[in-house]
Amino acid sequence: MSTTVLAFALRRTGATLLLLLALSLLVFGLLYLAPGDIARNLLGTRNVTPEALAQVRALYHLDEPFLQQYWRWLSRAAAGDFGTSIRTGGAIGPMMLDRTGVTAATAGLAFLLSVLAGVPAGIASAVRRGRWPDRLLAGLSVVGVSAPGFAVGLLALYVFALGLGWFPLYGTGTGFLDGLWHLVLPAAALALGLGAFVVKLTRAAVIRELDQDYVTFARGRGLSDGTVLRVVLRNAAIPIVTSLGLMVAYLFGGTVLIEVTFALPGLGSLMEESVLFKDIPVVQALTLVVAAVVSAAALLVDLSYLLIDPRVRARTARR
Amino acid sequence: MIRIRVPLVPAVSAALLAAVAVCAVARELVAPHALDQDIYLGVVGGGVEGHLFGTDQLGRDILQLSLAGARSALAGPLVVAAGSMLIGFFLGTVAGYRGGVADMLAGRYADLLLALPAVLLAIVVAGVVGRGYWITVAVLIVLFSPSDVRVVRSAVIEQAPRPYIESARLLGIRPFRIMFRHIAPNIFPIVVANLLLNVAFALVALSSLSYLGLGVPPGAPDWGRQLADGRELLGDNPLAAVVPGVLIIVTATAVNLLGDWLSELLDRRVVAR
Amino acid sequence: MTTPLLAVRDLRVAAEPGTIVAGLDLTVAPGETVAIVGESGSGKSMTVKALAGLLPDGVRASGRLEIGGTRLDLGGPRSSWRGVRGSGMALLPQDPFTSLSPVHRIGQQIGWAVTARRRTGRVAALLAEVGLPADVAGKYPFQLSGGMRQRAAIAAALAADPGLLIADEPTTALDVTTQHEVLELIADLQRGRGMGLILITHDLRLAHSRADRIMVMYAGRLVEEGATADVLRAPAHPYTARLAACDPPLTRRLPVLATIPGSVPQPFSVGAACAFAARCEFAVEACRTAEPALTEVSAGHRTACVRPETAARPDEHEHHADEEAAPPPEATPLLTVEGLAKRYHGAAAPALAGVDLELLAGESVAVVGESGSGKTTLARCVAGLERPDTGRVVFHGSAAGPRRLQMVFQDPYSALNPGLSVGTSLAEALAAAGRPRSEVSELLELVGLPAAYARRRPKALSGGERQRVAIARALAPRAGLLVCDEPVSALDVSVQAQVLNLLADLRRELGLTLLFITHDLAVARQIADRIYVMRHGRVVEAGPVTSVLDSPAHEYTRRLLASIPAAH
Repeated sequence: MSTTVLAFALRRTGATLLLLLALSLLVFGLLYLAPGDIARNLLGTRNVTPEALAQVRALYHLDEPFLQQYWRWLSRAAAGDFGTSIRTGGAIGPMMLDRTGVTAATAGLAFLLSVLAGVPAGIASAVRRGRWPDRLLAGLSVVGVSAPGFAVGLLALYVFALGLGWFPLYGTGTGFLDGLWHLVLPAAALALGLGAFVVKLTRAAVIRELDQDYVTFARGRGLSDGTVLRVVLRNAAIPIVTSLGLMVAYLFGGTVLIEVTFALPGLGSLMEESVLFKDIPVVQALTLVVAAVVSAAALLVDLSYLLIDPRVRARTARR
Repeated sequence: MIRIRVPLVPAVSAALLAAVAVCAVARELVAPHALDQDIYLGVVGGGVEGHLFGTDQLGRDILQLSLAGARSALAGPLVVAAGSMLIGFFLGTVAGYRGGVADMLAGRYADLLLALPAVLLAIVVAGVVGRGYWITVAVLIVLFSPSDVRVVRSAVIEQAPRPYIESARLLGIRPFRIMFRHIAPNIFPIVVANLLLNVAFALVALSSLSYLGLGVPPGAPDWGRQLADGRELLGDNPLAAVVPGVLIIVTATAVNLLGDWLSELLDRRVVAR
Repeated sequence: MTTPLLAVRDLRVAAEPGTIVAGLDLTVAPGETVAIVGESGSGKSMTVKALAGLLPDGVRASGRLEIGGTRLDLGGPRSSWRGVRGSGMALLPQDPFTSLSPVHRIGQQIGWAVTARRRTGRVAALLAEVGLPADVAGKYPFQLSGGMRQRAAIAAALAADPGLLIADEPTTALDVTTQHEVLELIADLQRGRGMGLILITHDLRLAHSRADRIMVMYAGRLVEEGATADVLRAPAHPYTARLAACDPPLTRRLPVLATIPGSVPQPFSVGAACAFAARCEFAVEACRTAEPALTEVSAGHRTACVRPETAARPDEHEHHADEEAAPPPEATPLLTVEGLAKRYHGAAAPALAGVDLELLAGESVAVVGESGSGKTTLARCVAGLERPDTGRVVFHGSAAGPRRLQMVFQDPYSALNPGLSVGTSLAEALAAAGRPRSEVSELLELVGLPAAYARRRPKALSGGERQRVAIARALAPRAGLLVCDEPVSALDVSVQAQVLNLLADLRRELGLTLLFITHDLAVARQIADRIYVMRHGRVVEAGPVTSVLDSPAHEYTRRLLASIPAAH
């Protein structure tokens, strides 16, 4: 059995790598999608002289065929060398590494907040289906899903930082605790939409399970409400875990706007700066990294089915 | 017995959206002075010199500007939702009914675009390819379509093995007619619900892009843009950010609530056969 | 009489549109089996849900229940059933495929009702009691067959030693051979434990073979109750008598099956009248103006009919039909199937493993088998809806060409496009076959529906009416061959007989050839000239209906026949 599980894991990993390869081709193609001359684009705001253009062409091997350029770029990127930024002239790899901490902390905090609040709220809502606490929570979760993080963030800044003065206005602060304190508002703003999504999803999953025959049978043979809920939650865990993969993608979309709003020096604000400056090499590198992280999360979710769903385990073993 | 009872929540949502739609269509009538600048006045807070919600850096009236922003808040999202659903509907129906190569291609197309968050991809593509409201709208149509393809495809796959479809096949009815006369009307509730969901998503996405300076050009009335400008004015006139922020949240919520209600209603109608 | 195990007084169930169950008294003695019999819409399922306190949201019950010394109000809060469910009563649901949690092991699920200290030994004992090997405890439901699952579910239901088992159609989802085994098991357990049993079923024959007492429900009302022998010998309500007559016999073919005209009304639309009056041939004015009360016709045998003397069995067309003289099929073959094989993607066993079949023009051939026998795949391959891996389907002579065959499917509820009116659906079918759209009313007439039905939507039609429209649509291209895939198995018995009669009539009038897929041997007896018995993708026996069913050659056919509940 363990070898078949391993084979399943390898096959899924292979599929993910293939998808990433296809994506990387698109990402590299961005350079060619941008309007105007590539060499000029790569020069950025520097003086456009024939010598400078020739230098850029040589540096980026622009006279080589597309696929050869792509392969050069990809193999270097795989080794951690993403080239140099047009805007700063610095190496992109260390630049991204510098910015990773803030993003990871904000996103991680938001993820924790939304799961820790969203899952219990969704369960509580589903168990009280149709009664006023459920309707209230369902209504609130629609608001949460609808509200863009940056708008919530600005309102939160105005109320909690500027108005009440409970939280710092901008920046990352110094030291661990102060740093964490600075991240509370951004993480909360990011977690609001995410948490609402988790509430909706958990509620739907638990309600779907509550309507199953096995619940009627469990009640009909006298099992206690606690036991029945435990059984239901074990079954509802499968769709909920599936959604965790989606949430990672959602986090990366939202974090750009949140970091811009709260002036946090993370990967998201690096993306914004680079996009506005048309610093294409940095944009390419960031997009590739995000794609890798999102795909890895999806892969992890897929593999976790082996642990939580015996039917999937059996199906892989049969193959 | 037919009893039409529109509950409070969708009624309020619909009224709100109607108001936004009126502002969007009759922008020049509703907010004739939206773009009038008064550089000498500059930023003032709410209630000053007849400006109920104050002004921004350029001395523009926040109320008028916000009313005028209704157009870009509604037009683009509607086009995005309709456009992506058009793609999703045709690709999804053909992929779901025909299977085979068509299905495989549609599946890979969806996999590729869904591997990245749509908003992030929109930022990247809009940023690199070019800025502008309608370019962003076009980009979002492409980015939203894979999820529509998936939704429609799975709905079609659910219908295709039903006896009424198989009977139609045995009667020799052409596949095109089966797809669009028999299957399509029966997945209508799913299409409508998804359409409204996408309007709300597109509103959020478009405002996000404008907020980052990638959507509407500087100076154009747009809630996302106003939020970006208002970020600098939180001290002088917080309403410059609060008003458009609340408007985005309320409008997106109204669309979602209406969508939830409508899909539940249509669902019940289909179930109660 | 001993003190009853369960006593229910005036059980009523109501929901938004109105009453679902109107006033029911029920007692069960220890060791007794009471069958509640009814077709769909009779309220039998809501009755058991109300007994167990498991009504869905929006449905309310009232009445009083006493079980093992505990009294409770059926309209009371859910918490009042605490301590009653489990050791007092246990509910055994219909479908063993959905009644167990898919992600928990069988042993766990049985053990939930047992304290942790005694769990392992108790689970093993319960598994042994239901005849399952001990290693089943470590398995998941999806690893078991339907019959084993239902045994496991029974073990779980018995874990808290209930005095009363309420079994809601416990074998309807199972194959006939498994049905027999599970019913035997329940009877054994009941004897061993002195347990009371409420058996909910739509199958009068099954109730006859298993119950001590029978309660017949119709449109939310109890119409007759009494000892099984009494109800069987002398039904006192016309509905009971008619229902028994509708059940097709296994041992002989009737030229015309008895039917009940019309369909079951909604319980809340009946008002102050006998619910059956509209369909009853003996109805008089009194039946339509007041709801008849339950009156005793003999000791313990009661009926809600004002003219119980009329109910005595209606004419059953008792003479035997000339089965051998069924329309002599012309000797020309219409269709030949050679070595058909098919394995679905990812399936462990092939659905078809080399099937040969021949169909002569004008004859009616039944293919019978249990689930997984490949009978439906065979029909779909013949129809061209599925492509076989190997083998050929050859049409001969006039049968070749497009639209040479049409098909009628099992589920009446998805048989018609819900968005189109009946007339539009039929007109489209006519147009596709190059016939004028004006012939819609002729088609409707052909299947015994009024022309006004053309304007109706499918949702305004009953299951039987939908199946008639589906047959009309299949007749539109004037195809010579009609493939029927379990066309009556989703219908109530009274409606099933109507559709079978219709198919027999059409065959006579139009000279149709029928390929009839069914799991029900009694149905096959009524409709077919020849019969193929399938198992595991192969034909195990074939021949004229009379010889296969009266003197089966294959051991499997004999087992199938022996599993059918004893006929009356």
